[in-house]
Amino acid sequence: MIRFDNVTKVYPTQSGPALENLSMEVERGEFVFLVGPSGSGKSTFLRLVLKEEKPTSGRIRVAGKDLHRLSNWKVPHLRRRVGTVFQDFRLLPNKTVFENVAFALQVIGKPRRQINRDVPAVLELVGLDGKHDRMPDQLSGGEQQRVGVARAFVNRPLIMLADEPTGNLDPATSVGIMKLLDRINRTGTTVVMATHDQSIVDQMRKRVIQLESGRLVRDQSRGVYGYTR
Amino acid sequence: MRFQYVFSEIATGLRRNLTMTVAVVITVSISIALLGTGLLIQAQSDATKGYWYDKVEISVFMCNDYDIGGNCSGAVSESEREEIRNTLEDHPEVADVFHESQDEAYERFTEPLDDPVADVITPDQLQESFRVALVDPDEYDGVVSAVSGLPGVQNVHDQREVLGPLFRLLDWFQVGAIAIAAIQVVAATLLIANTIRLAAYSRRRETGIMRLVGASNFYIQLPFILEAAIAGLIGSVFGCVAVFALQEVAVNQLLAPNFTFTAWVDRGDVWMMVPWLLLTGVLISALASFITLRRYLRV
Repeated sequence: MIRFDNVTKVYPTQSGPALENLSMEVERGEFVFLVGPSGSGKSTFLRLVLKEEKPTSGRIRVAGKDLHRLSNWKVPHLRRRVGTVFQDFRLLPNKTVFENVAFALQVIGKPRRQINRDVPAVLELVGLDGKHDRMPDQLSGGEQQRVGVARAFVNRPLIMLADEPTGNLDPATSVGIMKLLDRINRTGTTVVMATHDQSIVDQMRKRVIQLESGRLVRDQSRGVYGYTR
Repeated sequence: MRFQYVFSEIATGLRRNLTMTVAVVITVSISIALLGTGLLIQAQSDATKGYWYDKVEISVFMCNDYDIGGNCSGAVSESEREEIRNTLEDHPEVADVFHESQDEAYERFTEPLDDPVADVITPDQLQESFRVALVDPDEYDGVVSAVSGLPGVQNVHDQREVLGPLFRLLDWFQVGAIAIAAIQVVAATLLIANTIRLAAYSRRRETGIMRLVGASNFYIQLPFILEAAIAGLIGSVFGCVAVFALQEVAVNQLLAPNFTFTAWVDRGDVWMMVPWLLLTGVLISALASFITLRRYLRV
């Protein structure tokens, strides 16, 4: 589903490479934790998958597409197959819960009928039934992140990327979000989650890929967090 | 494509950047008004030239008894006159040739009454001439040089020379008006680019999410481009109104009633420009925003 072959990424303004000669593969339906200290290359990894950045060298395949050969005008179609969740939720403050999720379908030109069918379904899945008309600032952090997950998942992507989705949440709320991501994973969606949250990684017992200074230092199935910050 | 979404985005954008939108509308209307004024001056200059050119003719004066030297050796002979007439009539640029004899010249000369000079002039002191109307008044050079060297021709007089300074003044007006309009158009383009950049910045959260969930560039940029085009259209309409007002006040009420000896631009001339002015206003706005967005809303 995601395959990196000898990928190196150097940002022009930085001295060392953000990723160095990284090769790895994530199979369809896998749940992968991406761990490592700040600046180890986790975010660069996620940006490369979305083709927000281009690798300096090496090949990346996502959902069967060679990103190097993917022309710029086809990038939006790639992103429709990849849902993304962020630490800071990135909701639109002037739109209701329903509108925030519907926005993701509206802007890719989906018909109203499909929006009225899919948005309530996904809001029920993330446990926000009955809160359709709330504004983001009327929700708790955990609820806001559920809206974020619903927005990323409403178009049924093949891959779900999560960049520290529990970074702003307390432990109990985080567990709820992890259960949600796990449920999404069970529908067959590949999940890649970058995190600093040691207890979550240790509890979930999923595959762990550890980066350090842009290099892959550990790739362990059913792994644990493995180092202390 | 969901048009409802696009139009609600445009409305939001125009409202949120109201001050900048107003600035764009004003700048566009001023540039379009100036551009229209430039075109109006051009049309006026064409009308003036057209009016006068029809009346402009070349006069080929022939030698009389007192002319010696140059092509002259006393009065023009019968064969010389025929040679000149044939040369003129065979010339492709010549539309019409009219002969004026010395007696006719005398009549015309003495026509204004009470001219003391007329009393001491006799017909044989005047010159007979050919009055030549041209197919294209701009092409007088060829005709002048074709006949000016012929024996019996004393002088070739082109009335265009008299109107030359007027036409040159009109040309300068034209250039000046177009130059000011061009500078204004540049200013309008930059202002539009700046406005759209601000609009894009103030909506970066929305556009960021749109990119993330896979909205196409076209879909992301369309509201911004239409927003600029609408502001441009409103500005152009105001600009056109200003041109109509200028034509009405300056020409219909001030100039035309007082200076009836020449042709003036009318409202029909302004209507002819309107489509071009509107198109220009909309296109520079849309183009400026499109180019700006290419830089600020990249994939």
